[in-house]
Amino acid sequence: MARLMLLPENSSRTALMKIALADYRKNEAYDELLDAEYRPRLAAKALFEYLDSLPPGELEARRQSVDAAIMTMGITFTVYSEAGNIDRAWPFDIIPRVMAMSEWVRIEEGLKQRLTALNLFINDLYNEQKIVKDGVFPAEVLAGSRNFREQCRGITPRYGVWAHICGTDLVRDKDGTVYVLEDNLRVPSGVSYMLENRQIMKRLFPEVFQAGTILPVDDYPTQLYDTLAALSPREGDRPVVAVLTPGIYNSAYFEHSYLAQQMGAVLVEGSDLFVDPDEHVYMRTISGSRRVDVIYRRIDDEFLDPEVFRPDSALGVPGIMRAWRAGKVGIANAPGSGVADDKVVYTFVPKIIKYYLDQDPIIPNVPSYLCMHEKERDYVLANLTKLVIKPANESGGYGMLIGPRASPEEVAKFDELIRAHPRNYMAQPTLSISTAPTLTGEELAPRHLDLRPFILQSNRLYATTGGLTRVALKAGSLVVNSSQGGGSKDTWIVDTEA
Amino acid sequence: MLSRVAENLYWMARYLERAENTARLINTTGQVLLDLPRGASFGWDILLKVVGLDKLFDEHYTVANESNIMRFLIQDERNPSSVVSSIRSARENSRTLREILPKEFWEILNGLYLFIRQQAPAAAQSQGQRYRVLNHVVERGQSLTGLLMGCMSHDLAYQFIELGRNVERADMTTRIVDINSAVLLPHDGGALEPVQERLWMSVLKALSAYQMYRRHVDVHVRGTAVLSYLLLDPHFPRTVRYCLGKIEECLSTLPDNGDAMKSARRAWRRLAGLRWEGLTPAVLHEYLDQCQTDLGAIHTAVSAQYFYREQPKTQPPEQAAA
Repeated sequence: MARLMLLPENSSRTALMKIALADYRKNEAYDELLDAEYRPRLAAKALFEYLDSLPPGELEARRQSVDAAIMTMGITFTVYSEAGNIDRAWPFDIIPRVMAMSEWVRIEEGLKQRLTALNLFINDLYNEQKIVKDGVFPAEVLAGSRNFREQCRGITPRYGVWAHICGTDLVRDKDGTVYVLEDNLRVPSGVSYMLENRQIMKRLFPEVFQAGTILPVDDYPTQLYDTLAALSPREGDRPVVAVLTPGIYNSAYFEHSYLAQQMGAVLVEGSDLFVDPDEHVYMRTISGSRRVDVIYRRIDDEFLDPEVFRPDSALGVPGIMRAWRAGKVGIANAPGSGVADDKVVYTFVPKIIKYYLDQDPIIPNVPSYLCMHEKERDYVLANLTKLVIKPANESGGYGMLIGPRASPEEVAKFDELIRAHPRNYMAQPTLSISTAPTLTGEELAPRHLDLRPFILQSNRLYATTGGLTRVALKAGSLVVNSSQGGGSKDTWIVDTEA
Repeated sequence: MLSRVAENLYWMARYLERAENTARLINTTGQVLLDLPRGASFGWDILLKVVGLDKLFDEHYTVANESNIMRFLIQDERNPSSVVSSIRSARENSRTLREILPKEFWEILNGLYLFIRQQAPAAAQSQGQRYRVLNHVVERGQSLTGLLMGCMSHDLAYQFIELGRNVERADMTTRIVDINSAVLLPHDGGALEPVQERLWMSVLKALSAYQMYRRHVDVHVRGTAVLSYLLLDPHFPRTVRYCLGKIEECLSTLPDNGDAMKSARRAWRRLAGLRWEGLTPAVLHEYLDQCQTDLGAIHTAVSAQYFYREQPKTQPPEQAAA
């Protein structure tokens, strides 16, 4: 058994203790690595035994070399609000988040079930709208959807799949239940950090990986390539796959470039592409034009094609929608997929799964209140200080109200907003989201975290092994977004039976 | 290959070479200064003319003294060719090339950028720090070049890097030769004055050519011999002739290279036409100016042919062999 020492309150740690736990007595959340008696859970046992074997000071030394490695590897992200779009090093915690394979297998099934249903739903919305006609999904929700694209009506992309790449955020509540917090179906990011986190951990802690019980994560780029290649309108030859990026000033540019590199795809900007009168997409090369078969776009719908969406977009490619509608190019995710990436639509997902698959959802939704329904709205307005209020169409943690921590002014502002635009808001109880031990100085302290697995669908279904664990590095904070001071951890799915 | 990518590769290589050459130049000059006899003076503004930045300098500074010029050449980001700016531009260009360049390349270049950003003020202010910092820039430049040679496919992408590096390198060699000859030639031909010898040595050392010159040409450092070596030697990799050979080699691997090849041959003819008899400093200066114009013409032809151009909308695009 690993020697974990719980720090008594108000006492400093002694030199004899190898790993000290700080602040755990105050932690009311479920901890991913430690049980109620602060003993390592089964899947985390080997990790703690290893940590325990390190000489004093070694952990801190490794943490420092991780920071140096991140800086030289240039794993960065850009923060929008920072002047000059300065790259910041990716904040990373070296204590991994660990989950038993037996639990993961079921979650993986749930994620695949969910994406399958969501794609059936999107395809139905753009075609017959049976789910609306059958009264399962309200017409007024559809009418109010900001991400429904009229321009996509009547189209069925290959395999009927719209969202080829999905990032689903999972959280665990106090009682250990894992919930889906939201589905990101537009341009979910973070997978490159998942891959790089593992690279860093293997560089820094090669010993732990030798046992072979930690499942690898590195087949994602190949799976992504195959998922995309399956969308090619041309049979045979290796299709030309391009990653379309808004450019180096985008916060996720690192990831765009990384994924292109890992897949052997071409990284393009809008100005590199053009559409010819036959509605093929070409890229400009040193030896003339070359046809592009599949575009993994990392720019939002609104900027994709100035002919169809925002005419002032300099990031997109004029005519690309024509090419896509004519079936001359594959686009992932398909334009319009965002219709299902909506906090209000989210509340219908259990019904959507039941409707299309006739199955119960394997991973439950967080209970939610829709402000468009009068009764639920009254409840929300009466309980603003207890709930988390989310706008329907924002991502990245922007425009949220965390009731228990909000100032009276913020609460009043949301009261007004909800009354003015009820369709735009939904509310959820404040979950006590789970924690994992995180290195703070020489001690491990509990920090809240979530998990974003990535799920792929085209003619195949795939989910990453684990995903990206995002952690709120500030004590007590629940906000894990990298744009707002969050960091990440490596995620280990451990085969405890091996 | 994407036109934009080709352009970024080319410029990345030019900026990297520029950073390295500027570092070499400053370091060697600094070393020579220490050897100057009492009473002899060194014109710091010469360094500015070498890199063709005297006008830009005058816009921002009033006095052309050592400390201002060092700050301007090493640290000042208003100077797009300063060591810091060049490394930053090389890094910015390579940010868009990470899927093409070997992964270690980015790591080293990024490390170099972080290093120079932190160390440049010290290098600009203190003579003692300057050598250490700039020498690191040269060393890293060498390991980056070595990494590409040894760990990157010598494909089209590599050819654009080689092209950029050699255009920049040839240009810098003509500049270094130009300025020193202008200063020194009036007195050349007579007895070898030790000071002149040292300045010509500094020219050779700036290009890391001193040792090779002594091995292949002469133990004595004479003006015309140095000139001839740095312009025409076929084996030393920083001479104008060697660089032109490389440029032609790169161009020959590219599609539709007609115009660029033509401009390269014009530069060849100019080099072959150099006559030593009656070569006054003014004639030499004129001649080197023309060499720089020839290199500029190669650059223009390469940009026009391969880099990003707006496609005319009415014209159907050409079909390329896949």
